[in-house]
Parts: sequence; C-alpha cells; structure tokens
Amino acid sequence: MQQEVVLAMLAKEPSHGYQLRARLRDALGPLGDAMNAGQVYVTLARLERAGLLAVSEEGADRSDRKVYALTPKGQQRVAEWIAEVAWPRPDLAEFHLKLIAAAAAGLADPLTIVDTQRRELLRRLRDAQRAAMAEPDRSDAALLLEGIVLRLQADLRWLEACEKNWTPRRSGS
Amino acid sequence: MGRVLLVGRLAVRDLRRRPTETALLLLAIMAATTTLTLGLVLRDAAGDPYVSTREATSGPDVVAGVGRLAQLPGLEDLARGDGVAGHSGPYPVAPAKLEASGRVSDVQAVGRDAATASVDQPEVTQGSWVGDGGVVVEAAFATALGVRVGDPVTLDGRSFRVVGVAVTAAMAPYPGTSCLVAVGCMSGAVSGDIAAGLPPGLLHNPGLVWLTQADVRSLTSDPGSLSYVMNLKLTHPDEARAFVGANPPAGRDAPRLTAWQDILEDATEVAGDSQILLLIGAWLLGLLAVATLSVLVGGRMADQTRRVGLLKAVGGTPSLVAAVLLAEYVLVAVVAAAAGLAVGSVTAPSLTESSAGLVGGAGTPSMTVSTAGVVTAVALAVAVVATVVPAVRAARSSTVKALADSPRPPRRVGWLIAISARLPVPLLLALRVAARRPRRVVLAVAGVAITVSGIYVVLVLNAFLSTQPLAGGYDAAQVELLRQVLLVWMVILLCLAAVNAVVITWATVLDNRRSSALARALGATPGEVSTALAAAQVLPALAGALLGAFPGGFALFAALNAITGGDGDRATLPSLWQLLTVVLATVLVVAALTAVPARLGGRRPVTEAL
Amino acid sequence: MSNAADTSVLRARGLRKDYGRGEGLVRAVDGVDLDVGPGETVAVMGPSGCGKSTLLHLLGGLDRPSGGEVVLNGRRIDDIGEKALARMRRTAVGFVFQAFHLMEELTALENVELSALLAGRSPRAARRRAEELLDQVGLAGRARFLPSALSGGQRQRVAVARALSNEPLVVLADEPTGNLDSAATLDVLHLFESLHESGQTLVIVTHDTRIAATADRLISMRDGAFVDETRLTGGTTGRLGALAGLED
Repeated sequence: MQQEVVLAMLAKEPSHGYQLRARLRDALGPLGDAMNAGQVYVTLARLERAGLLAVSEEGADRSDRKVYALTPKGQQRVAEWIAEVAWPRPDLAEFHLKLIAAAAAGLADPLTIVDTQRRELLRRLRDAQRAAMAEPDRSDAALLLEGIVLRLQADLRWLEACEKNWTPRRSGS
Repeated sequence: MGRVLLVGRLAVRDLRRRPTETALLLLAIMAATTTLTLGLVLRDAAGDPYVSTREATSGPDVVAGVGRLAQLPGLEDLARGDGVAGHSGPYPVAPAKLEASGRVSDVQAVGRDAATASVDQPEVTQGSWVGDGGVVVEAAFATALGVRVGDPVTLDGRSFRVVGVAVTAAMAPYPGTSCLVAVGCMSGAVSGDIAAGLPPGLLHNPGLVWLTQADVRSLTSDPGSLSYVMNLKLTHPDEARAFVGANPPAGRDAPRLTAWQDILEDATEVAGDSQILLLIGAWLLGLLAVATLSVLVGGRMADQTRRVGLLKAVGGTPSLVAAVLLAEYVLVAVVAAAAGLAVGSVTAPSLTESSAGLVGGAGTPSMTVSTAGVVTAVALAVAVVATVVPAVRAARSSTVKALADSPRPPRRVGWLIAISARLPVPLLLALRVAARRPRRVVLAVAGVAITVSGIYVVLVLNAFLSTQPLAGGYDAAQVELLRQVLLVWMVILLCLAAVNAVVITWATVLDNRRSSALARALGATPGEVSTALAAAQVLPALAGALLGAFPGGFALFAALNAITGGDGDRATLPSLWQLLTVVLATVLVVAALTAVPARLGGRRPVTEAL
Repeated sequence: MSNAADTSVLRARGLRKDYGRGEGLVRAVDGVDLDVGPGETVAVMGPSGCGKSTLLHLLGGLDRPSGGEVVLNGRRIDDIGEKALARMRRTAVGFVFQAFHLMEELTALENVELSALLAGRSPRAARRRAEELLDQVGLAGRARFLPSALSGGQRQRVAVARALSNEPLVVLADEPTGNLDSAATLDVLHLFESLHESGQTLVIVTHDTRIAATADRLISMRDGAFVDETRLTGGTTGRLGALAGLED
C-alpha cells in the first residue's frame, strides 16, 4: 500500500485507524477485503516517523484510540502526490520478449503460451466481472472493478493480436 | 452537353440495373396506351366512312318514302317545296325474297335508272351499275350473304345476275337498313310462335338491292302496291332535321322523312358501341396501370431515396437529381407510348373491317397527330406523376438523412395484430403481413375489383350477344366484331391484372424477407410462411373479387348503359353461379400467381435473410 | 469434453459446413465436436469470419450441415425435414441475435408473445407468459412500447425474453452484445448471468470477451475448428487485489 494513498485518505479530517480502514473498504469493495489490517497500521507508523502525520491519543492507550492528522509537511506531500502524472506501467515488453524467445529457441509454441495466458486472463476477467456485478450500481468499488475489467479486456485484445501474428499462414486464409 | 449525357447515362444505368421492374413498368404503361390508342382511333374511324360515302355518292340530306302509288303526289309536292335544292326519284321499291347459292333473305328492291342520278348515286365498289337482268347488292348485305359479282341469284323466283356491289349514304348498311316498303319490316331474331302471329309478307331483316325500274315493276303483279322513295338535296343540309320536323307525317298518305344525321347515327352505331367498349376498357386499364405503377414506384422509393442521397453527396443539385429521376420515367413512358401507338394502330383495322357498307370503311383507320399526341401526353403524365414525389422529396431531404436511408417503416395496425393473435399461424402471419402495408392491400383489392367488374360486363355483353344476336340490329359480322373488341380488352385487362398481382406479391415478398426469416427462426415452418405470404394476397383478392362482382360490375354495367343509352332490361345479368365461378376462379388464379413468389420467399434459407 | 455424451442437451460430432465448391471451397465449420451439458453456459470465441455464427446456425437448425451430426436432447436434427426442424426450433431452441431482429410494428409485448403464438399456445396463455417474461427482464413498464422507442439494451432484453418464451432447452445467442455500448452490455450481462443461475443452458457465440467470461466453459475457434478450451469455473478470487495494484 502506497504511503501517499493512506496519507491522502486522512486529508479530509483527522481520523481513527478503524475509520480510515472503513473508508478504504468502501472505496475498494471486495478488493479491500484482502487488505491486511496490520498493513495499514504499519504504514501509519512509518508516516508518523517520517513526520508526515501527527498522532493525538484519546482515552485509553489502545492503538485504536489514536487519532491521526496530517502535519503541514504531510499536507504538502499529499498536494504533490495529487499533482503527479505517474501511471502504472503495463508490463507488455516482458510477455512480448517471452514469445520471441520461445519461438526463436524452440522452447515452446508461442500460440500455446498465448492460449495459456489468455485462459488466465479470462479467469481473472470472469472473477472481476462477477465481483463488479455483485456491487451496487454506481458505487465507488464498482467503478474500480470496471477499470479492472476494461484493462483485462485490453490485454485480451492484445493477446488476440499476438495470436494473429504468431499463427502460421494457413492455406486459403 | 456533358450534363445531358450524365443524366442520360445515370437514368439508363438505373433502368438496366432492374430489368424486371423496368419491363413491368413498360408493360403497365403500354397496356394503357394501347387501349387508349384503339379507343381514339376507332372514334375517328366511326365517323369518317359515312362522311366520305356521303361525299362520294352525293348522299341525300333527306330521304322521303311513301307506301303506295296513290300517295306519290305527296312526294312530288315535297320535291317542289321550299328549301329543296334538288332531288332524285321517286324510285319504285318492291319487297322480294332473294335466293343466292342456297341462302334466302328478304330484300327491298329499289328500281333505279341506268343513268347517273344527281342525288344519291350509289358508289359501285365492285362490278358495274344496274342494267336489265342485273342486280346491284348493297355492300354490307353482299358481305353478310356471301354473294359476289357474277353470282346468279333469284328474286321471287326470277333469275338475275349480280352485276355490282355498291355503297350508299341514303340508308345505313345492312342490317341497319331502314324500311321503305308498305308491308313493313322487322329486325332481330324471331322465334317460331311469334313469327306465326306476324302479318304475312312482313320483311325480316331485309337487305337492299338495286334493279332497273322495269325489273322492279316486273316483280309485282299489282303496280299499285309498289312503294316509292325519293332523295332530297336541301339548300341547307345542316337543317335537315328541322326540315323533317317542319313536314310531319300528316295522316297515312303523307311521306315519311328521314334526315341524314339520323342515318349517320344508325350507320355508325356499331363502331360507336365498340368505341364505348374500348374507352371503358381504357379506363379500367388506366386504373389498373396506376395501381401497378404505385406499387412499383413505391417499392423503388426507398432505393431512390438512397440514390438521391448519393448523388447529392457527390455534388448533384436537387434539379440534377430530379432530372435523372424524370429522365428514367420519361424514357420508359416514351417507349411505352410508341409501342402502344404501334400495337393500337396495327390492331385497329381488324376492329373496323366490317363497316364494309361504307366507302373507306375497309381501309386502315387513320392515325392522326392528335391521337398520337393524346396517347404520348398521357404516358408522359404518368411518368411525371411517378417522378414528382421522389423528386420533391429529393430536393427537400437532407443529404445525411437520405444516405441513412431507413426504408419506409412498416405500419402498425394494432387491432389487426390483436385479432390475428387469435388465428391459426398461417393466417396470423398473413394478416400481419397485410397490416404492414395497408396501402398496398387497398391497391390489390382495387386491382382485383376492377378486373372482376370488367369480367362482369364482358359476361353480360357476351350473354347478350349470343342470345339475341340481331336484337340490337347487329348482324353476325358485327357481333363478331364486338366480340373481338371484348376479347381484345379482356386479354389486355387480364394480362395487366396478372402483372399487377405478381408485382404486388413480389413487392410483399421482398418487403417481408426479414420478417419471414425471423418467423422461421422462431419456429414457423416454411409451409406456414409460404401460405401466409400467398394468403396475404389471396384474402385481398377475395375481397376484391366480391366487391368487383357486386357492386363493382353492376355499377359499371349501369354506367355503360347510361353512357350508351341502351336499355339494360334486355340484358341477362350473370347468374349467381357464374359470379361464384368468377370469384372462385379469381381467387384460384391469384393463388396460383402468388404461389411461386411466395414459395420462393418462404423457402429461402433463413440465415441468408437475417 | 468432460460431459458424458448421454447427459448432454446439445451434442455435435464431426460437424462440417462447406460453401462453394472446387477452388472456391470454404470450410466455414470444419469438424467440430461439442457437448453442452444441462444448465451449462458455453461461449465460443474467435475472430470474425472464423465460422462461429455458422456453427450456431447449425446447432439451432437454421442451417443444414454438409457433414456430421447434431443431436438435441437425444434426437438427431441434422437429417430431419424442414417442417420437423421448425417444430423443434419453436419448442427446444431460443435465438438471440446481434441485430435484435424485433418486428418494428409490434410492441415489446407482442414481440415476446409471437413465438408462443407460433408454437400454438392460446392467445391468453401467450400473453400471460409474455408479461411474466418482460417483468423478468425488467421491462414490465415498457410492454406497450414499440422497439423504436426502446434503447439498444432494452431491445436486446426484449429479444431475450422472446427467446425464453417457449422455455427452450437451450438458448443460442449470436453476438448478443455486438450492437451495444458498454452500459447496455452490462444490462445484458446481468440478464445472462441470471439465466445462468436459473439453470438455463446457454451457448453464446461472441468476440466480446466480457460476455464470454460469464461462461462456464470457453472455446476458441479458428478457421472453422476448435483450437482451445478453457474451464472458467474454479476461480482465482483473492488475487483481484493484485489486478488493481493493491498487492505487490
């Protein structure tokens, strides 16, 4: 979990750790379920150490009673992050080179690799889609799942192109 | 020049792209133009021969006759009367029985001078004029009796030789012959028991022959019983009827007068009747042609809209678009008009042949400029009417819309859809097919109704002609002629009706290609779909046939009577079983005509259409 | 083919369809074996022109194979007459097409009841069933609308309702989302998913990976033949997070 994400989720108002986790769960839907509770607290502790978060204790000394708030430095960091244009890099080159290497060295039939890969992507697509359909319409989580579905579709289309390219020319087609 | 070439090329291409449609279009317009040509040509043909005969024979303006010798002074008074410019006669007339090669007919024998008369000198068309022992036979009578120059004949048992055949304007050709003799004449068929009640000596459908005066007198033992006829020339021929009106038959002894206009009417009666038949036929055919054209043009409309869009998209102006559309139909119309005029003028002589009793009657009816003009104008009018809607639409529609070209969406007739849900599958589909295009159904009903009305009238006339051949003063040849006229327009009518039925079915099949395939994908059998497509035609045909039998045919016949002034009482209306047969036959024929396209439409592979 | 042949609803063996002859001979479908078990959803995917639509037509008896056999519910349908084939279609098969193929002049309700009427149901029963189905696809409120007044997704839902009208053994769908935008696609996806859950046997031919992913089994087709088969059941749940960048 990126530190900046946790930081940004606290930008609205100072919150307890459990409030933060609920907010994340709402936004991520079923994806949030896989999130480890400890991970959030580890990240919070790191941010505190870095001086990006300030912690005030309320009531008992249980960690749940801590309220986290952004320091001015933390606020600046969030503003920078929001302005960033970085985008996750799709890792196509690796697969592409895998096909070329397999074909060149006779390690495997590229089409088999494509088919195997497609099977995997289709399973993921099915899962993502199922999850998306289970979400109520227009929820934040549904939007995220829609994004996953669309990316998988794009990947599958690229696999289709790979398949076409690696299919030996058959007579008459 | 380039523009004209472009328009011409586009028009011809489009016509050639759809040869069947073009042929049907041509056929439909041609049927109408042919009939119109016949009607118009016959109108001219009817009046002309009598007028030319009248000129050639110095035809009389008034014909006057008396029944016996004692009344002769009355004729002489008349000849000296005011307004009479000249006269010939009086000539003696005797009733007689003529026998020629085994056939016997009553005749009125008129005694003439061998010298040429100044008024009514019959025009000899074959042989020579009268001489002692020689008889000249009126042309139509000669044709009917089958006698020729040189044939021996007997008159009341005395032998004569036919020396000539001639025409006259003083009397309508056989059997329209007017009665000159005192014993009286009657025309029409006479059954045995009526004949028994008739006065003896009455002439039955008498023909006309000319002899020398001496020969006529020799036919009778009592010179006092001879009738006399005199031909008068008036100073004002146009006032012949007024002259006749001014000299009413005052008592038994006064002469009976006939004006030339009345003779003209008698003489042209048959030609006039044929013309009326043809004009009515032309009307019916015109209506049918319009029905056929509407379906054809309507069917092409969607296609045309798209072409218009294409033309406009590549820079064609609305006027160019209109010019292309117009050029297409004008091309078809001009060809159809030319073909119609040609076929019409070739056929016309066979319909006018038997007016042999008049000079020029046997000749080819003249094709006048006005006839050609009228026929061409009508054909062009059809073309323009067919073009107006798409052309206006083309000028107004947006190019984008025209290119998108949604075909004419089907209509929704809610109640029919609701009713059809309760019917067996083929009828369910049939009613829905029909409901999609109500206008086309109306055209189909109208087409069949018009055809059946025509058949109804033909049945009436045919029955009339075969049961009372001579009732209307028609002889066998004339009955034959009228039959021919009936046959000609019946054939054209049936052809066009068949074309109409096929066109409508084909349009329906094409229109329903998608929905038929869909119905089959949903589980309708090919048989059900074919039956539905055929039934969608047969049901309107049944309605049309019923409407055509009654009131259509009845109304048409009534109209015919009103126009001709004939009395419908003498006509036998078709019997119920005849009408039922016609209705049944119509339905069967339509079913047969539509079966082929419907079957083709119903069997076409589903996957192709979807 | 994991299903035993005798329990399958739809079975094809050596299915072949040729077009043209001689030099121009094209094998649109070339020796396909297929078993579809009851309640199973099978998707056939492949590039356009690979013969998948032809295959669907052969399976539904809309077209006749050049060779091989098709067995529907234990009965061969590749060699029966047109009429018997039509009867089979009206009771055992429901079609859903890419272009919807609704009758423009009939309302949604009338379109749905049409197949029941063709199958000889009473008008009352057909009407009741159509109302039920429209309700099921969520269009009860639009029953009296003409297709032209419905959106693409709604039209396809009407078409699906029509396909279900005679409680078919199998629904055959040909690119059911091919003419739809992504929102409408989702609509149809939901519908197919619920059909699947209710135990309806489905064969979907498509190149939309989205709808293909709803299937239990996915078959890839190339040049008229099956080249790959994937069982999609038995998921990878729990790894979705990785797809969203939540896990490393």
